[in-house]
Amino acid sequence: MQEKVIHFAINKPKAVVRLMILTAMIVLLGALLPSFFPNTFSAFHTIRVDTDPENMLPKDEPVRVFHDQMKELMNLHELIGVGIVNTTHEDGVYNVETLRKIYELAEFAKTLTWENEEGEQEGVIEVDIMAPSTTDNIEQESVGVVRFDWLMQTPPQNMEEVEALKKKVSRLTYIQGMMFSEDEKALAMTLPISSKDVSYHIYTKLREKIESLQGNGDAFHVAGLPVAEDVFGVEMFLQMAIAAPAAMLVIFLLMLAFFKRVVLVISPLIVALVSVIISMGLLVFTGNTIHIMSSMIPIFIMPIAVLDAVHILSDFFEVYQSKKDRREALVYVMNHLFTPMLYTSITTVIGFGALVLTPIPPVQVFGIFVAIGVAMAWLWTILFIPAYIMLLPGKTLENFGQKPASGDHRGWLDVFLSSVRKISFNHAKAVVASALVLIAISVWGIQQIVVNDNPTRWFEEDHPIRLADTEMNKHLAGTYDTYFALSPTNEQIDKDQVQQELIRSYPALDKSVFDVDPSLNGMDWLLNVESSLDDLLFESGDDVYDEALNTISDLKSDAAIFKNPEALKYLEQLQTQLSGLDVVGKTLSVMDLQKIVNREIYSGEDQHYVIPENKRVAGQHYVTFQGGHRPNDLWHFTTPTYDVANVWVLLNSGNNIDMEQVRSVTEQFMKDNPAPFGLEGKWYGLTYINLIWQDKMVFGMLNAFLSSFAIVLVIMFFLFRSFWWGLLSMLPLSLTIITIYGIIGIAGKEYDIPIAVLSSLSLGLAVDYAIHFLARSREIRKNQVSWEAASKIVFEEPAKAIVRNVFVVGFGFIPLLFSPLVPYQTVGFFIAAILISAGLVTILLLPALIKLLEKRLFKDVKN
Amino acid sequence: MRKRLIIVHTLWLFLLLSMTGYAQSVDQIIKKANHVAYYNGKDGRAKVQMLIKDSQGRSRKRSFTILRKNINTNADGEQKFYVYFNRPTDMQGTVFLVWKKMEGDDDRWMYFPALDLVKRIAGGDKRTSFVGSTFLYEDVSGRRLSADKHKLLKTTGDAYVVESVPVDKSGVKFSKYIAHVDKKSFIPLKIEYYNSKGKVYRIYENKKWEMVQGKPTVIISSMKDLDTGVETYNRYTDVEYDVNIDDSIFSERYLRKAPMELINY
Repeated sequence: MQEKVIHFAINKPKAVVRLMILTAMIVLLGALLPSFFPNTFSAFHTIRVDTDPENMLPKDEPVRVFHDQMKELMNLHELIGVGIVNTTHEDGVYNVETLRKIYELAEFAKTLTWENEEGEQEGVIEVDIMAPSTTDNIEQESVGVVRFDWLMQTPPQNMEEVEALKKKVSRLTYIQGMMFSEDEKALAMTLPISSKDVSYHIYTKLREKIESLQGNGDAFHVAGLPVAEDVFGVEMFLQMAIAAPAAMLVIFLLMLAFFKRVVLVISPLIVALVSVIISMGLLVFTGNTIHIMSSMIPIFIMPIAVLDAVHILSDFFEVYQSKKDRREALVYVMNHLFTPMLYTSITTVIGFGALVLTPIPPVQVFGIFVAIGVAMAWLWTILFIPAYIMLLPGKTLENFGQKPASGDHRGWLDVFLSSVRKISFNHAKAVVASALVLIAISVWGIQQIVVNDNPTRWFEEDHPIRLADTEMNKHLAGTYDTYFALSPTNEQIDKDQVQQELIRSYPALDKSVFDVDPSLNGMDWLLNVESSLDDLLFESGDDVYDEALNTISDLKSDAAIFKNPEALKYLEQLQTQLSGLDVVGKTLSVMDLQKIVNREIYSGEDQHYVIPENKRVAGQHYVTFQGGHRPNDLWHFTTPTYDVANVWVLLNSGNNIDMEQVRSVTEQFMKDNPAPFGLEGKWYGLTYINLIWQDKMVFGMLNAFLSSFAIVLVIMFFLFRSFWWGLLSMLPLSLTIITIYGIIGIAGKEYDIPIAVLSSLSLGLAVDYAIHFLARSREIRKNQVSWEAASKIVFEEPAKAIVRNVFVVGFGFIPLLFSPLVPYQTVGFFIAAILISAGLVTILLLPALIKLLEKRLFKDVKN
Repeated sequence: MRKRLIIVHTLWLFLLLSMTGYAQSVDQIIKKANHVAYYNGKDGRAKVQMLIKDSQGRSRKRSFTILRKNINTNADGEQKFYVYFNRPTDMQGTVFLVWKKMEGDDDRWMYFPALDLVKRIAGGDKRTSFVGSTFLYEDVSGRRLSADKHKLLKTTGDAYVVESVPVDKSGVKFSKYIAHVDKKSFIPLKIEYYNSKGKVYRIYENKKWEMVQGKPTVIISSMKDLDTGVETYNRYTDVEYDVNIDDSIFSERYLRKAPMELINY
């Protein structure tokens, strides 16, 4: 097969080129046409973008299902925080000018709604905006007089009015820290939005408006996870458009420096481009979304695609001048490289393909399509590169390549490689010893790794999103909202018992009231019975229904857990525990609302800022709270049956480790203090979802990596048909991974998604060099008397190709370091690190080990 | 000569009367509508079932008896309201008392039985929720006619369509409201409230009405808040007019000691 493929490429170059262009065009059209002509190609998929990290988990993942359920139950939406920080004004934000601005911004935010194509309202949810001008205030105005009023209906006109507002804020505990910072230097409003994907639009509009409000020392910030995530999505696409081509350009220039012929070095780029087009095209065509992960597919395919082509060009460069015939030179090069390239591609495909084993859909998609890209790169490298060289006009190659080596004409690469060879040969034991030390240090480093991710930190420190995050979380309670829902595990209403009791107490009762769907839970069943009774009372006016309704009302009251002082006290304890954590800026629940109403109804004095003494009082307080402008606010904290409490927990950090701490502290608390009424607590909210998928990712990645490592090891045994050679070939990869993660641990860089995915990339890249190096070494040794003699040749062609590869691919990704998005920087940095490490291990440690193990490795080779 | 003048005058008067009967002036329409909605009889009482249904279909219920007395029986002016809650259990015995004034703020009190506390509710904003429903305090006791400028938009087959624009826009969320008033009975059939963007955000509907003691009376009404998706239904039973409720009932003294014979009838 090898012969046939090589000859097809060399003898039918035009056919190869046509075939490649045709394939790329078909895939490209299949992917793009449905997007441009959605009506004509309605059966196919359009390009769909999804930048929501929530989708790191499948939609039916329990944590997401619960998150969605609770959001609906509690009428919650994702939140955007808009803050003003004023550190220069002597009164902080409590000045006429700043307060006028927050008023104006809130009024502006109300206009940020629109109807989508389906006629649904999108944008900011006006009724739930939390701003000084939309906040309700209840206060004891004077003895015996209670006032329900807006906190700041209109902006204050003078300092007296400002002072009055400040006084109100100081009593309205549930907005303290959230809306007005305790240091008086910041204030914020919270905008609930219809869905996360409108964040970027709202963010842009808000920033436009903010431009017109500058001055007075006010610094404006827009923060919140939805903004960070949506803005990241938008900038990610910009980066794809900038970073990938920039990397291409640098790779091109580096190759040009090595091989000197523009026409020639274009060929690997064509292969890379075609591979990217085919794999991304198929991704779109198959209806997969372009996600944070899949946006990185081109960046991962490119180095791998260029890798093999550089091997061919490098070897061709070495032998062309001695053969002088391109056909002959190509046959020679291709025959040597065919097997190593096939195996390196297979191992890379496996490395990325193994990502389907992770439980994270976007990572699976990423793995599959990088694998497809790698396979494409292999195919077009062995077909197109030779074909391309054959199609070049004769004179292009005239002075191409390395002149047959002469002692006095040695380039820097020759000098470098010969010294590397000497070190590895003369100090073999020292090299191996240093490798062992390196492993020891790295293993220690790996133990220091902190697993953590934080979508806000995907931006550089001076990015407006990061600044907003830092500033707002410094002054205010926190921009990361998570929720802890407490609900009973057992039914509060026993249907049969209630029915019997009602029949016994009211024999005259029409039994039809119990014709209720029996599958309903106890409370819903009771509510249905109540409605039937209500209707009967309305129609007949019969007192028996009125009395039965009173009984039902009593039952409902008994089931209303969060009217119980005991349940409210439990919330108080839990919240006190949580508030003790540095990362928790504020907690908020019905308990806080109860205390405020209790104080204002009784006396306005602090002594009454306590949980009400009994259920009835609590029940009345709930009704009193609803007597304001925003009665529905209560339903963000509990349900109309008062059996669920939703505790808002505002974190000042989006770090998953911080969320993890909050979670474990809560768990411990509930273990030490069993909740009354059989209550059970569960977390939800974006910050919590991020924690869950991260957990899955870490172990998923580890699992995927170990599986692919095992498969690749087996393939290596098969390829080399030798235990020792197979083992040896895994060394550059193993050492690279250990060192890279060791460095990550020692440097204190946290283990996040890009870092996790790098293990697969190492598998793809690092084993490559080992295969090329060892396969050739073994082959060359067959015709040489000793490893010493063979190594001289090995350090010519294969080693050179490897070093060139390290330079071209490793440095090709330097443009990524200038990206404002941290994951891109991480990938850029670590691609270089992986290649350098794998390259060094290959040309330094492998020859040293071969020397030490020469007898064992070459026992079948006759001297 | 004098005779002729009288005839002419009489004719004029007749013409004038027949014209107004045919095409009511907008002021008369809203005056009559206001009378039907809030001033039927010299006093009155009713039992009310209130159902508050949210966008998730969850419902909350309140049950109360409302007593009302007109202070000036000749003109639609000051009134007193006494609202006694039976259900939910926690609210039982809660009383809400209003002295509606024609000038200045209304006086409002609330009695919390579990705390045995009477609280006066500071005047000013009447556009807060009535016990968590979509009806506002202002809807319960009525809005002063002089607070809005009224215009007859059109007359349909059976209703006058009147547009009312608030004189003072601060403190109200609506920019205008449009009422459909039944031509014969002058009972309001529907009122749509528009927000500042010119969109309807709140709708009152008179879903059922009857003649009680010869007076047009609402039996089922609803108020829907389109922004929150919450809708409140009120069902009135045992409506009675001219009960002769004593004025003293509407006082702080009776907040703690509810006149049960008037409430449970």
